[in-house]
Amino acid sequence: MRRETQNVLLILLGGALVKIALNGDYLRYVKPAQQPWIIAGGAVMVVLGVVAIVRDVLGARAQARPSAPGAAPGPPGDAHGHGPGEGHHHAARSAWLLVLPVLAVFLVAPPALGADSVTRTEARAPQSAAAADAAVFPPLPADPVVSLPLNQFVSRAGWDRNGTLNDRTVSLSGFVVHSGGGTLLARLVITCCAADAYPVTARLRGGDAGHLATDAWIEVTGRVVPGTATKANGYTPDFAVATVKSIPAPKDPYEY
Amino acid sequence: MSDRPGIIATVETISNNPAGPALTRRRFRISSIEVLCAVLLIAILAQGWLQRVFDVPALRTGSTVFVAVCVQALPFLVLGVLISGAIAAFLPARVLRGLLPRRTAAAVGVAGLAGAALPGCECASVPVARRLMGQGVAPAAALTFLLAAPAVNPVVLVATAVAFPGRPEMVLARFAGSLVTAMAMGWLWARWGRLEWITERALKRLPEVENGARWRVFAETARADLVESGGFLVLGAFISSALNVLVPARWFGVLGEQIVLGVLVMAVLAVVLALCSEADAFVAASLSAVPLLGKLVFLVVGPAVDVKLFALHAGTFGRSFALRFAPVTFVVALVCGVLAGVVFLGGVS
Repeated sequence: MRRETQNVLLILLGGALVKIALNGDYLRYVKPAQQPWIIAGGAVMVVLGVVAIVRDVLGARAQARPSAPGAAPGPPGDAHGHGPGEGHHHAARSAWLLVLPVLAVFLVAPPALGADSVTRTEARAPQSAAAADAAVFPPLPADPVVSLPLNQFVSRAGWDRNGTLNDRTVSLSGFVVHSGGGTLLARLVITCCAADAYPVTARLRGGDAGHLATDAWIEVTGRVVPGTATKANGYTPDFAVATVKSIPAPKDPYEY
Repeated sequence: MSDRPGIIATVETISNNPAGPALTRRRFRISSIEVLCAVLLIAILAQGWLQRVFDVPALRTGSTVFVAVCVQALPFLVLGVLISGAIAAFLPARVLRGLLPRRTAAAVGVAGLAGAALPGCECASVPVARRLMGQGVAPAAALTFLLAAPAVNPVVLVATAVAFPGRPEMVLARFAGSLVTAMAMGWLWARWGRLEWITERALKRLPEVENGARWRVFAETARADLVESGGFLVLGAFISSALNVLVPARWFGVLGEQIVLGVLVMAVLAVVLALCSEADAFVAASLSAVPLLGKLVFLVVGPAVDVKLFALHAGTFGRSFALRFAPVTFVVALVCGVLAGVVFLGGVS
């Protein structure tokens, strides 16, 4: 592949990174803390591409000038021919692969992971499960309805021996997954990017969650059925539903 | 616009084709620029169709994971090529030689510990290791750095400590297992490695840089490395996203009882999932069915060898290198992981 094409691709790819970092789409793919990295990485790519193009054009102009037969010993164009950039001609075919993420970001714009990943990956206990002592699970605030991340709710249901969840009305949000004849409320937890996502799930009992569309985002209130999150069912507690409300999909769909 | 083909032809002539000016002067030669334009144009026209094709659940998940791996890894690759460019431009080969011990065996040790200082993940260390080789560092030492940097740096160790609360021995075991893996590979290379396995272009020495040209060399080296490694990173991301969708979840489920099988499967999973070394500890911790030793092996093998790294290594150092290096690294990392588990975790349970 030619230098010019490589430079154009670098600018496109860098531009794609900066674009998704600025318009918030990056939250479908990575955790929020990555934003400055993505912007900086994309900007560096664009700068490297632009600098190379400008230098090539200037160098070519200096070379083409007929009045300078010696082609001025030091100009940038000269360095390219014999300099470090030489190696790229051999491996240049691999550079075509850079087209793929550009097309994927600009044209396909894949959505955040949803129900398909939940059914594909077995539900797992959240990470805090490793330390199952009371200090990890302080008492819930005294409000009549406590809003909890699903992640928190599931680890309390599975591991909290003091039963801080019992007889408390909590409010959870997540998307709907139909699996094995039941309806699950699910969230995906990521650490770095969507490739390391794992699901946390709660089984919805009662209410009319059964005919909600897969992947629809809902907010439910209700209570845990104590003792239902076991190793055998991948720590999926039962949740006795009181109310169900549809909500728009959040900008930031993952838990951390 | 009309004089653009002329300029392109001139550059081509200067850089690699001194014999064929007559050929390059022809007007309508199809070059990669035209091909790229055609690809982009077709893709834009077919956007609706593309989006319909990708509306299958499995493909949707796969494409999300693919973009996620790219978005996650590319900034680190950029960091790596900037360091590589800086080494090429500002760190003359003789200074670098002065920094490392002359004896290869000792240089391997130093390189292993130096890996702790690069707080990036595995994608960043590949261009850096290659540049070190190009600057005359013994390949054994550069390879040790390549393996040590993503696994023993402070960011990864802190992440491990957070993922395994109340189990500091896990951090120690990971540190020891990975460092020994890296050094063992360095010593193995020093003893049996052959230079001709590594592609010439990775070993090529850059000429000594004169003072005025430093920034130019910096930008040009970084650009060339980025284009080259970037393509292979994308290939690795593609493979790992495909495997992410295809590997059955049942693999995780049956690992509790069979310790030997469990450890082996975890090592294989580390290779096919190709997680970032900053994230793998959390994934390992979340696998509650897997015994601790299996998790440790997962953490030691993952940063050393996985499909994404294999693609990057093949692209950077050549296929004949990667085909030998990857399997040996896998075995060494597996053994070191198990040994570290026995020493620091007190047995296999």
